[in-house]
Amino acid sequence: MLRTVYLVLRNEFRLLLQDRTALFMLFLAPVVIIAVAGFSLGNMFGVQSSARTFSIPLVDHDHGAIAKAISDGLSREETLRLVTVADDRAARAIVTRNDESPLAIVIPAGVTSAFESGRSAHILIYVDPVKRVEAEGIELRLNALSRGVAARARELAQARLNQTDADVRARVDRLVEQIDALQAQAADYQRRMRRGRATLQETLDARIREEIQRIGARTEAAVQRATAARAATVQEQLSRKQSAMTAVVAYLRQLQVSRRAFEQWLAALKSAAGSHANEIPPPPNWPNPPRAEQLTELSRPIDLAPGRLDLTAPAELANFAIAIPDIPMPPAPRVSLDPRSLLPARPPALPGDLDWRERPLTPGYAEVNSFDQYVPGFGITFLLLDVLWGVSVGLIDERDWGTLQRLRVSGAPVPGLMIGKLAARVLIGFVQLVVLFSLGRLLFGIELGRNPLMLLLPTAAIAFAAASFGLVIAGIARTRDSVLPIGSVAAMTMSAVGGCWWPLNFEPGWMRSVAAGMPTTWTMRAYNDLMIRGLDPTHALWPSAITLALGVAFLGAGVIGAARVYQ
Amino acid sequence: MAAGAPIVEVSRLRKSYGSRLVLDEVNLDVRVGEIVGLLGPNGAGKTTTLSILATLLTADAGEVRIAGYDSRRDAQAIRRRLGFVPQSIALYPSLTAFQNVELFARMHGLGARAARSAAEEALARVGLSNRARDVVSVLSGGMRRRVNLACGIVHRPEILVLDEPTVGVDPQSRERILDTLRELADAGAAIIYSTHYMEEIERLCDRALLIDHGRLIASGTVAELVALAGSRHRMELTFQGKAPARLYDGIAGVSALEPAPSAERMVLLLGDLAQVSRVLERALSAGNRVLEFSLHSPNLSDAFMALTGRALRDNDADSASERGL
Repeated sequence: MLRTVYLVLRNEFRLLLQDRTALFMLFLAPVVIIAVAGFSLGNMFGVQSSARTFSIPLVDHDHGAIAKAISDGLSREETLRLVTVADDRAARAIVTRNDESPLAIVIPAGVTSAFESGRSAHILIYVDPVKRVEAEGIELRLNALSRGVAARARELAQARLNQTDADVRARVDRLVEQIDALQAQAADYQRRMRRGRATLQETLDARIREEIQRIGARTEAAVQRATAARAATVQEQLSRKQSAMTAVVAYLRQLQVSRRAFEQWLAALKSAAGSHANEIPPPPNWPNPPRAEQLTELSRPIDLAPGRLDLTAPAELANFAIAIPDIPMPPAPRVSLDPRSLLPARPPALPGDLDWRERPLTPGYAEVNSFDQYVPGFGITFLLLDVLWGVSVGLIDERDWGTLQRLRVSGAPVPGLMIGKLAARVLIGFVQLVVLFSLGRLLFGIELGRNPLMLLLPTAAIAFAAASFGLVIAGIARTRDSVLPIGSVAAMTMSAVGGCWWPLNFEPGWMRSVAAGMPTTWTMRAYNDLMIRGLDPTHALWPSAITLALGVAFLGAGVIGAARVYQ
Repeated sequence: MAAGAPIVEVSRLRKSYGSRLVLDEVNLDVRVGEIVGLLGPNGAGKTTTLSILATLLTADAGEVRIAGYDSRRDAQAIRRRLGFVPQSIALYPSLTAFQNVELFARMHGLGARAARSAAEEALARVGLSNRARDVVSVLSGGMRRRVNLACGIVHRPEILVLDEPTVGVDPQSRERILDTLRELADAGAAIIYSTHYMEEIERLCDRALLIDHGRLIASGTVAELVALAGSRHRMELTFQGKAPARLYDGIAGVSALEPAPSAERMVLLLGDLAQVSRVLERALSAGNRVLEFSLHSPNLSDAFMALTGRALRDNDADSASERGL
């Protein structure tokens, strides 16, 4: 019994040692996958498999202290390299294209003033959702830096406040002293004013009384002179009136006598003339009337207007002035301290909050659905496995079955055979991914980008590249049994390194350099650009072109390698 | 081409794999309606010769003309006239027998309808009409061989090249295959048939070519080739105990092969089959107990042995009994 067990056991090991495929799958394949995963995911566990420096675009619209503090703080980080760019667009472009740039920092205009005036200040961050993990690491540092800057600013502000407070207190003290002095001066001034006012009152009273008396006397004399002159004038005028009036009276009396005489004569005449009355001559002349000037004088009114008083003030009165006695004036009280100087140049305030806010690279693509990574990622993995298996095993099977030989004898051109086989696998892989994306949309709500049809381009490219690589594997793996380990390890390695299982940025730099030669890398870039970053569909053109180019290179190598299989 | 006219002409064919010379100055020809057998041990160069004829390989030197076309310049023209049945079962296991045959008919240039018709006809010819819709993987080994043949003849080739088409098949299938080949030859096809089963050559072929180490060592009808091995029959006896001495004394035309294989065994060479009974009678009358005896008439293997000093196969007898021949 034991002998049997021993012999069977020994034979099993002997068989195993003869089976290179089994040995490969036992040891080498796991080591390869473990190495790929370990190197790729080491960063997730805090292991720095290699020193990695991130390039951070910085847009400074503020040009203030905050921008400088942030810039200085980040510059001190050994793993960060700041790149100053002019505008947000350029910063976003760098984040989108540069694997070493998980995010961009934008310091908007007015951040420093807002922060210093006590308001909340926000720094903007454009985060690439594909590089979320790296971005979060940097955000943590940025968070700490923001807190540090804010704390330091508060310390400085508090110190300034304390200093300002002390200055104000000192100034207030000086002001109080000056006000006290001012009050004392004002009281003294008040006393002096009262004394001066009394003195002035007395002086003015005396002067006024004296002047009134002097002016009264002068005025009385002037009145008396004016009255006398007027009386003489009136008397003269009355005398002339009186003589004129006498002449007139005499005339009038004579006239009255003549008139009566005439009337008598006339009556007699008329009686004598009888029928000759008309022949009576004219009457005699009447006496001469008084002279005209006499008569004018008689009609001229007597000027009884009082005589003009010479009220012209005496010269002394014209120069009358009351000399105000000199009252000693105390100096005007003055406050040497400008109360406005008590105020600080700017209102004292503690700084506000300083934090950062994320902005999506593309509007509407802020949230990332993990299936946006895994549906295309694992879709590519299984596409590779299926297409690699289909092409390489299919080719080797046909060789082993003899159908390939038979097809050649049938007259079918070899290029036609190869193209037919590859085209079938390309189409199968293409349909496989289309179905997976459709299911991903239905079941997991994956994002298909702005133009879902554009996803077909990288899908076709990777299907072609995978089929071409299958041809390479067919040339490397000589037997069907070899395809499984070589093909599966190749497919898984290409998937892992190419960013299908985790974001490419998890990987160290050397591994990303290797990844640049893999079609999976470029296809995932196209998918990420379209689905996660939500970029313009044209962003898929270049990665798809590279994938196609790699596919063509694989095809060339595969044709050379597979020629052996066809022989 | 007219019956009897040479349709395959090979002259001074040479082929090497690296430094190993596998074909050396091989000349052969096949006529219309003729079945030519290519006989030789493993590694003799049969498959290489057939591969060159099938335009799968290019000769290093020499000339191959098939149906008047040079194989180097007009390979496509040759392929259109050629049917090839490889040694392996060159079929798609997951397709049905019909699908396999129909595919190769299409690949040979037949239209869809013609291909379907030709496939049904080919399958009927090999006796598999009733299994046409079965996937190949469920068919027996012999049936697969027949489907394999059907794929090679579906386009009615003028020249049919077969590389050991009966390896591992049951007797029923072998009979069907051989009958089919004869029918095709009778219909005017030129057939080149490679095998290391001399019995098939003896039964089927109009002519045979013996090849060894890449060289054609003899060619002719089967009878002509067998004659090269001589006309004496070989009788081998095994006794219980020591073989008797002088057993064949007095029997004309009988001699012993010296040295004897062992003390208990004796090998006699007989000029006539009638001498067999006489030898046995003498052995039994002398009180010897014969445990086993066998009789072997001259054949192609003997001819090969006579020409090369080596056996055609390592264990011809065992294989023959396994095949029920």
